[in-house]
Amino acid sequence: MQFLLPGAGLALLTVPAIVLLYFLKVRRPEVRVSTLMFWRRFVADRQANAPWQRLRLSLLLLLQLLGAVVLGVGLMRPGLIGAAGIDATTVVMIDASPSMAATDVSPSRFGAAVERARSLAGQLRPGQQMAVILLGDHAQLLAAPTGDSSLLRSALDRARPSGTAGDFAEGISLANSILTGRPGGSIVLYSDGHSRPPSSPARVVAPLTYQSIGSTGENVAIETMTRSSSGSVFLRVTNYGRTTRDLKIEMRADGRLVDVLQVKLDGNTTTDLTWSRLPAAAQVLEAKLTPGDAFALDDKAWLVIAEPPHHSVLLVTAENGFMQKALKLRRGLDLTTVKPADYKPGRYDLVVFDGFVPAGKLPEPALLINPPPGEGPVPLGAAIDPGSVLPGDVRDPLLSHVSLKEVHIQSAATVKPPTGWRTVISAAADPLLLVKEGEPRDAVLTFDLHHSDLPLQAAFPILVQNLLDYLLPGGFENQVFAPGQPVTLIAEPDARWADVTGPDGRTTRLAPPPFPPFTATSQPGVYTVRQQLSSGERVSRFVVQLQNPSISRIVPGAGPFLQPLDRPTAPLPRGTLEIWPYLVAAAVVLLVLEWLVYLTNPTKFLISRRSQEAGR
Amino acid sequence: MLTAGELTLLGRLDLAFRRPQNGLYAGERRSPRSARSPEFSDFRPYVAGDDFRQIDWPAYARLEKLMLRLYVAEEEASLNLIVDTSGSMVMGEPPKWQAARRLAAALSFVGLAAMDRVQVGELGGGRLPPMRGRDGVSRIWTFLEGLEPAGETGPAELRRLLWARPGITVLISDFLVEEDGSWGPPVAGLASRRQEPVLWQVLSPDEEHPSIAGDLKLVDVETERSRELTITPGLVADYQRALRAHRAELARSALSASGRFLHSSSADDLEAMMLAGLRAGVVRRA
Repeated sequence: MQFLLPGAGLALLTVPAIVLLYFLKVRRPEVRVSTLMFWRRFVADRQANAPWQRLRLSLLLLLQLLGAVVLGVGLMRPGLIGAAGIDATTVVMIDASPSMAATDVSPSRFGAAVERARSLAGQLRPGQQMAVILLGDHAQLLAAPTGDSSLLRSALDRARPSGTAGDFAEGISLANSILTGRPGGSIVLYSDGHSRPPSSPARVVAPLTYQSIGSTGENVAIETMTRSSSGSVFLRVTNYGRTTRDLKIEMRADGRLVDVLQVKLDGNTTTDLTWSRLPAAAQVLEAKLTPGDAFALDDKAWLVIAEPPHHSVLLVTAENGFMQKALKLRRGLDLTTVKPADYKPGRYDLVVFDGFVPAGKLPEPALLINPPPGEGPVPLGAAIDPGSVLPGDVRDPLLSHVSLKEVHIQSAATVKPPTGWRTVISAAADPLLLVKEGEPRDAVLTFDLHHSDLPLQAAFPILVQNLLDYLLPGGFENQVFAPGQPVTLIAEPDARWADVTGPDGRTTRLAPPPFPPFTATSQPGVYTVRQQLSSGERVSRFVVQLQNPSISRIVPGAGPFLQPLDRPTAPLPRGTLEIWPYLVAAAVVLLVLEWLVYLTNPTKFLISRRSQEAGR
Repeated sequence: MLTAGELTLLGRLDLAFRRPQNGLYAGERRSPRSARSPEFSDFRPYVAGDDFRQIDWPAYARLEKLMLRLYVAEEEASLNLIVDTSGSMVMGEPPKWQAARRLAAALSFVGLAAMDRVQVGELGGGRLPPMRGRDGVSRIWTFLEGLEPAGETGPAELRRLLWARPGITVLISDFLVEEDGSWGPPVAGLASRRQEPVLWQVLSPDEEHPSIAGDLKLVDVETERSRELTITPGLVADYQRALRAHRAELARSALSASGRFLHSSSADDLEAMMLAGLRAGVVRRA
């Protein structure tokens, strides 16, 4: 027996409420009658003037209590594990979204989902098969259809929560491909309703049963922790639950407790805190909410205070104040600006060419802005009116926090993206911003910044910082990444290897440059990168932590919306037989019975002799 | 108190006494005694000592037996009307008291019209002296109009009633008292005092078919005692069963005292009440 919606157990509070109502005396209107002689034998013992009365056990009370208990238990959706059997081919989809790490159900939502899938695998009979799909950043087939329970269990042992919301559309697509041509198939989805919804209602080829996991939405998160130029630390804390929380925020500098902040948050509110007692020599600042809650991933935040390594950047431009200002915003950046006529190749970490491309070999990495037609690594064509400005991929990290809605460009150049380049921003037909993937890196803006209002938008300095992160060596220093997100560690020119040490102390060596993306970022915390250079060792850090409000809002959501036309009408297969319909029917019967008793004579059914005597 | 039409109706009615009445004065009721009168009663054989003037000689000629010719003696009868004036009589819609008073007025009129000896009183209260003849109508009606129901009365008051002459005693009441079933002995006591008891119950429609429901505090208008209860259709059905049982008990009490029990509704008009009296044999057509 298990409860699919244990939170509904709150409905059982009606049981003490009913008993309380029986304790309370009813304020009755007074009616004068000729005699009480015909009423007397039916009256209850309710003559005391006190607002409370002695509890009198009656059949009515028992029926009401029984009805409330049955209804309350029914609302919790009890299910008998294994009572309903499973279909010939069952595809189990497990949502691995970060919210599944919440521990409001034991051991966690994800653990409970895996356990249910494991239980389902144990019920397989000869001729029945089961497949397991893990919904992470991408849907992953953990186990192809098989009737071997041990294989399925070992596949489930490998299941781990993901750092990003599960891709439901991919999962459905995978399940459909498995079930196509297999009669008697079904899909079971274990989720808390936080997987990424598909852009249009999913089409399924077999019945889908959604089993919601999770019982509460109570969660408080540290959404943001940043440091201002003045040195004070800014914190944003949000209560996603409904209850008011009295919390403390422990501030630790390099692991040493330096301050405790008090914060009281009403339900569904956000508060901003500013803290300016940062020790001078601190390298890493950690903020921790206490007491914790069911979702620990967002209870901590880290900030790397250490100065990032300095980089030299050369800006070659006739006149571009916008670019100059945007570049100067970055800390630890030594900017040199020269006219195109004065350009001389030199040792720079990045060169920005604005409306100019030097003859000969192009220094790399380089950012080219509106290069002359036919010049540079990506030859531009004739000028066109680009029209709407669109993101190439909304999830591109280069467009993080960049809004293109209000951006207009008067003219740009036509260009055909060569192989190895990806489009970050595009017009209707032609790219507007291209970046070269792999090492060394380059980027090309195909339009003159002065012929657009992009530099006047807030998006511009953010876009420039994102480009610098991508183009400059390192790029990851002091940055914050989502759990599970691969981190690209751009090696210093003379780096031989790099050791990455995670929050758990485990060290991974990356060699030789260019380093492959570092993917072991499932654990939140501070990651230390030690690059071995010919001149010594360079230590830098990056942070992995959850800063996603849609994931921190952990209240279990509704099931996925399926296309009604494609939704099969056959009875839903379930490994777990839900018995709530029977309980609701029993509650209805009890209520009817209680009504009939009430209609006949309530005091006839007093249970105790004392009560009967009192009634007489 | 009564309309001309109602008086016309009552003029065609007479009280129905079950036993011959032995009155003080000559009247219109049969007497248990034989006497000279125009109305032939019966024959019986002559025995020594009989008045030989009453021998029916034509019968002797036919039967060759001495037979006496008997005649009915007509004497006055006693009608005692007792009206319940307890506080519960003002209850009901329409009020029971109006109906009870009109019923008493009607019966007294019928009795006085038949030259009976009519005495009217209140249960547990004062009584008018016996009246005879139509002259007594106005005094009795004035007495009835002056009565105001209040307080508490009960069957025990019946024991204190003493009657000089045998007759019929009509008790008009709702018979609603706390002491359930205690009307039997006092009614039997009436019979022992040579009274033919007639228990005439008047209840209002809402007492026969209660329309109240829900959580209520019922207060007895006479005793001010209260009970709190939840009135449901089932409880109302039980109430009506209890009322029927109470009426059956009253009927048994009256029957055991050679009397009668009947009931009317306060919503009934006088004709309906007299019809009830006709059915119960309390009144008859003159």
